[in-house]
Amino acid sequence: MIGRLSAIAGAVFMDAVRRRVVYVVVFFGAVLALAIPTLPAYGMGIVSGIYREVSLALTFAASMVLVLALAANRVPAEVERRTVYNVLSKPVRRLEYLAGTWMGVFAVMGGAVAGFTLIEQAVALTRYHDPMWRLWEGALAIWLESGVVGAFAISVSAVAGPVVVAVASLTMVFIGHARDSVVGTGGSAMARALYPSLDTFNVINPVAHGSGIDAVYAAGMMVAFVGWVGVLLLLGVVAFDRRDL
Amino acid sequence: MIDGHVPAIRIAGARKVYSSAPWARARIAVEDVSIEVPEGAIHGLLGPNGAGKTTTIKMLLGLVRPTAGEFEILGHPSRVPANRAGLGFLPEQPYFPSQLSATQAMTLYARLAGVPVSERHGRIADLLERVGLGRHEHARLSEFSRGMLQRLGIAQALVGRPTVVVLDEPASGLDPVGQRDVRNLMMGLRDEGVTVLLSSHQLSEVEAVCDRVSILDRGRLAAEGPLDDLLNVAGRTSVRATGLPGALPATVVALTDDVAVSGDVWVFSVLDADVRAVVDAVDDAGGRVVTVTPKRESLEDYFARLLARPSAEQEVAS
Repeated sequence: MIGRLSAIAGAVFMDAVRRRVVYVVVFFGAVLALAIPTLPAYGMGIVSGIYREVSLALTFAASMVLVLALAANRVPAEVERRTVYNVLSKPVRRLEYLAGTWMGVFAVMGGAVAGFTLIEQAVALTRYHDPMWRLWEGALAIWLESGVVGAFAISVSAVAGPVVVAVASLTMVFIGHARDSVVGTGGSAMARALYPSLDTFNVINPVAHGSGIDAVYAAGMMVAFVGWVGVLLLLGVVAFDRRDL
Repeated sequence: MIDGHVPAIRIAGARKVYSSAPWARARIAVEDVSIEVPEGAIHGLLGPNGAGKTTTIKMLLGLVRPTAGEFEILGHPSRVPANRAGLGFLPEQPYFPSQLSATQAMTLYARLAGVPVSERHGRIADLLERVGLGRHEHARLSEFSRGMLQRLGIAQALVGRPTVVVLDEPASGLDPVGQRDVRNLMMGLRDEGVTVLLSSHQLSEVEAVCDRVSILDRGRLAAEGPLDDLLNVAGRTSVRATGLPGALPATVVALTDDVAVSGDVWVFSVLDADVRAVVDAVDDAGGRVVTVTPKRESLEDYFARLLARPSAEQEVAS
């Protein structure tokens, strides 16, 4: 099973990294990172905190664009072009196909988020003589969240087209970060616990303006990540298993 | 069971009904189709567009959920992924991840088919050479022509050393040389003991290589059996004669109603019981009988006649 998963993930990775969209998004991300120091807020003397905050926001936005570009149309295109037949007619379970596809996309996202972060570090080093290592803590959170969004997109794409997937995924991200607005900070503990929140992955404040995140928090993020991805892919497999190709 | 042996492919009572919604009218794509293919045979699956060939194949491969029926490869349920380890499949007009090279794509399929690492490189190189892509192993698939993708599709179907191969329109997109190569490949596979289920619209190809055929029409099995049994016209013999002075002897004319002449060669058919008299009449007229063979219809004629019937009754040859 591991061999088949890694084979599919490897093929998805190789195919994805040769697509122009990855480099276009990274290029524009780099241009924007270079432009951050020109923002008006810098005139007020709040420098490194705002730089980190805007950098993380930029990385988050770019990673959402990229993960949707890579994940939303992957399965629908393979079904449409029938490339999926060559895979699923072999001794491959649909679970392995979906999970392998997700792993490939997640690996590309790792490279892209790392690329963004390196560019932002380079700008920080050049402009402020500070490598801002803490940006990597934010990068980890963003990468994990892109994995969750990727799992959601791939699962929905098992039964829907790319437009529906993109809209559903953006809605999921919006809802995932709206717990305080929907339930309220003073809402019941039960409602807050059951809310499908992605706020665990929002570490902009501690990374940009605080002292970063500790190992316990990072471990909690990992648990949330595994739980989200596991449940989403499982739902996707249940739907995909029932689908005629 | 076929002569006490487990068939390589067994489809029993296959049925597929498509319905877009509970209130929508259901469409029956396949109804009660049963096919058994013995090991080492080439079995043709024929039918007009929309007859249910591809749906039947997809149910066999686990790509479509059957409404009913049993599907087995070498005696094991084919819808269980692990039981497809010995199966190779070429889909109609295959496509591949376009950013991969031929070798990368083949490596993917070899890994999925469980080809050991030690054999992988040699096996891929051999297969690419065998299908005529040896010089293109590092070319990106986005640069491949239709025919090259078809050849790669055949290679990926064979990468796991399958004992059963399902080919859906294997000659599609190939030039005449490529089509001949595919025919030779199928016969080579049969010689190696591999079972081939061939779905094709190219009746000449089917007639050239298949041992048995199943013909589907409107989702049902319209005819099934060995090609010789289906195409040989019972009770009639085809005679080819030459050297006749201008016309057929009157005795022969009285006994036949289908005469074709090309140059000095006459071809006609008579009842089996009249063969002796016809041969003597040709001899007496100074002609020479070249061949006497059971009268055989072309598969194209048989196919057209079968499907022209208002409702295709089942016609099964033993």
